[in-house]
Amino acid sequence: MHYPWWYVPFLNAPMLIAVIAVLHVLVSHYAVGGGLFLAVETSFAYRTKNKSYLDYLRQHAWFFILITVVYGAITGVGIWWTIGLASPLATETLIHAFVFGWAMEYVFFVLEIVSAFIFYYYWGRLDAKTHTAIGWIYAGAAWISLVLITGITAFMLHPGSWLESKNFWAGFFNPQFVPQVFSRTGGSFLLASLYVYLHAAFKVKDSAMRDLIAARSARPALLGAILVVLGGVGWFVFLPASAKAALAAASTLNLMMALIFALTVAVFALLYFGPYRNPGWLTPGFAIVLFVLGLAAFSAGEFVREAVRKPFIVYNVVLGNQVLAEEVPVLRANGYLESGSWMRAHVAARFPQAIENGKINEARLLELPKENQIELGEMLFQYSCNNCHAPKNGFSAASHLMRGWTTEMIRTCSREPEKLHFFMPPWAGTPEESELLTQYLISIAPAHPAGMYFGDER
Amino acid sequence: MNPSDLIGPSSSLGSPAPYWFLVFFKILGFVLHIIPMSLWYAGIILALLVRWKGGENGRIWSGRLMKQMPLLVALGVNFGIVPLLFTQVSYYQVFYPATILMAWFWLSVILLLTLAYYGVYIYAYGLKEGNSGLTPFRQAAAWIAAIFFIVIGFLFSNAFSLMTNLGGWPALAEKTGEAGAVLGTALNTGDSTLWARWLMMFGLALTTTGAYAYVDAGVFGRKESEKYRLWAGGFALKIYTLGAVWFALFGSWYVFGTWQEEVKATMFAMPLGILTVLTAVSPGLVWFCLWFFRKSVSKRAAFFVALTQLVVLSLNAVSRQIVQNLELGKFLDVTAEPVKMQLSPIVLFLLLFVFGIGVVVWMVRKVIAVETRPAAG
Ligand code: HEC
Ligand code: HEM
Repeated sequence: MHYPWWYVPFLNAPMLIAVIAVLHVLVSHYAVGGGLFLAVETSFAYRTKNKSYLDYLRQHAWFFILITVVYGAITGVGIWWTIGLASPLATETLIHAFVFGWAMEYVFFVLEIVSAFIFYYYWGRLDAKTHTAIGWIYAGAAWISLVLITGITAFMLHPGSWLESKNFWAGFFNPQFVPQVFSRTGGSFLLASLYVYLHAAFKVKDSAMRDLIAARSARPALLGAILVVLGGVGWFVFLPASAKAALAAASTLNLMMALIFALTVAVFALLYFGPYRNPGWLTPGFAIVLFVLGLAAFSAGEFVREAVRKPFIVYNVVLGNQVLAEEVPVLRANGYLESGSWMRAHVAARFPQAIENGKINEARLLELPKENQIELGEMLFQYSCNNCHAPKNGFSAASHLMRGWTTEMIRTCSREPEKLHFFMPPWAGTPEESELLTQYLISIAPAHPAGMYFGDER
Repeated sequence: MNPSDLIGPSSSLGSPAPYWFLVFFKILGFVLHIIPMSLWYAGIILALLVRWKGGENGRIWSGRLMKQMPLLVALGVNFGIVPLLFTQVSYYQVFYPATILMAWFWLSVILLLTLAYYGVYIYAYGLKEGNSGLTPFRQAAAWIAAIFFIVIGFLFSNAFSLMTNLGGWPALAEKTGEAGAVLGTALNTGDSTLWARWLMMFGLALTTTGAYAYVDAGVFGRKESEKYRLWAGGFALKIYTLGAVWFALFGSWYVFGTWQEEVKATMFAMPLGILTVLTAVSPGLVWFCLWFFRKSVSKRAAFFVALTQLVVLSLNAVSRQIVQNLELGKFLDVTAEPVKMQLSPIVLFLLLFVFGIGVVVWMVRKVIAVETRPAAG
């Protein structure tokens, strides 16, 4: 509303965030865990003077750099790009609250890049002690960058006492911080092992070496899985009431939770009976199955973690329709169209007759011809509903959700969406505006499906 | 309609630090960004052309630059984050609308960059295997990377010129709109500032590439033959001359042809007139250094070239910031945002910043120790 709304047909702009975020986390956790893996294992290989393990680790370091420094880093920037486009008000808010958190993070990014390149390109040329030290600098910097970004993402779910104090640290060390650091750290251990298995299963022909790799990375993976679960429990315990309710109410989320649970059990079992007890199981097929299950669990977890924030983007601060929670009463009094710079400009350009003394006269909007009312309703839909619903077709399309609804039902939904479902934001405009939206919704709601028999006369 | 009606309210959270502090890091970050950025922007295409037509020494130069390119891209992208972060703190009211208007193009930067970056790796990997390594596939990858980087530069120039072209917003929003929302398919191509600026920035990138050819030969390439280093001195001068002429040409178009009266009135008057003149003539200083030292490529001379080019880039960065503020001045005073200081995070950031520099210096010294060690080990 403060910004132009980006209409992405079918998907809805915020879905792009979800897509890119998932594409990113699947690698960024490896960027942390893999760094730790390389640091620990190179120290071990130097200590045990295991030349062939060192050779493998060098190969792995190259794979690691190609994936994390390029894809991982750029998809990370990509998330930032998309949140600015699809969720500008929340991004503005987060950056105002945490710019120095990001600035600190940036220092560690630079450390990561420099150390990663030196670690790989000076392999064999630095003495063992310096080489492992550089590996540890990478691992340390990567983990701290995880902690820093987790403070900010956890804040979105539960800002804690920041809401009163607006204090950086109160926001950073929010109730969700510790649980999420646990699960993300665990996730890093776990994913790193899965990447190592995948890489080794294809690249290492010597079975003794493969067994060593399988055995060495099994414990961190199991530990990681335990940390994920512990963090997950903490996450649940410290969820705000609305998020717990969403988890209980939404069937998609229930399915997702069940899926995550099943996948986690499967991954844990495969790890335990596979690499931990029987390192010899590590074949390409096994590694692929493990990897795919792990990524699926991760993606589902990420999806749920995001979804339970509804109707907020930042809990109790920014609502899913790009308005600040504190603005809602003001918008109800002054009008949504009048308060949103881009909408007001559009109305003024399109319907100058509705402008009186430089302001929108809402009564006049309802005197416009029907098709113009529908047109304005469509704009209201774009700005206040398209965050979560496609209009006619696509992701959670509103028209299909309202199939067969009576006019009164539609009117209620437009006037008090938050009563219909607590995970929808409240209507942030005047009754006249809600009437415009209603006109639009009526125009797109399909009829009750034909041919259904309920015992009535044919 | 008055375009300033399109500017949303300012954030109730206030500015987390005084404007001067934020803009200092924004400018510092941009100077750090533009150095490696220039090398991939103008450098990759040049490296490919020179490899093709530049003789034996040209091939050495081209190979040296392209081997460094993976690191240069990694660093340059990272250094870009700083100015973008501070842009989003102080200029959010214009940055978000501008990028949303061109959303698909702006988002495509990410895809183009990923592909271009892998292209660089594919090529650089081939270089390791000598001449036979550069298969047609690897060469094609590098050409694609070169073109993508130039396209990305074009998109950046779009975003940053659209950010101050508020007068163009309403028409773009209507033209690419859908029920009052926008489709994100606009570009700022109707604004001549974009074209002048894009071409000017490319010229500036050429000068940096020229200066870097010299610095590389004088500092990092000390193991190359004397003959190569001498060639590099002459080559650097040629490229710099080309870049400086290009920069002067399109810079003049940019300044005289696209600046609005308010901007001219301030930038041509005292005291800022001095800055404008210095920004315009500063490449001459580097050119002189390159000309003077062209026959004796040494570490010391390289130091002078690097330092003077840094001055050129810093002057540009400061000037563009002032011009940006002047252009926005009609609509918005970015310096007037109330400050709600976040003192302890700032202090911690500064401490970590110094700590980070310390660790980087430590690591780089270890590398230098390896590089300068006699070849016995
Ligand atoms: C923050 C996200 C969000 C916003 C914004 C939002 N909704 Fe919803 N809405 C939801 C979710 C989630 C559901 C449940 C969807 C499902 O079951 O598939 C839902 C369900 C619905 C339904 C179906 C209700 C039912 O009883 O099944 C309708 C109709 C609807 N929304 C209309 C709207 C309209 C109109 C707006 C704009 C005023 C809006 N929504 C804004 C998230 C949102
Ligand atoms: C994704 C990583 C990148 C980030 C975060 C980034 C950031 C920035 C920022 C913030 C600016 C404006 C600085 C200012 O005015 O204060 C800028 C300018 C610029 N960047 Fe980058 N950049 C990135 C990648 C690239 C790439 C890959 C290119 C390709 C050539 C590029 C080319 C440019 C150009 C040409 C400008 C000047 C635009 C103009 O003013 O006309 N950048 N960049």
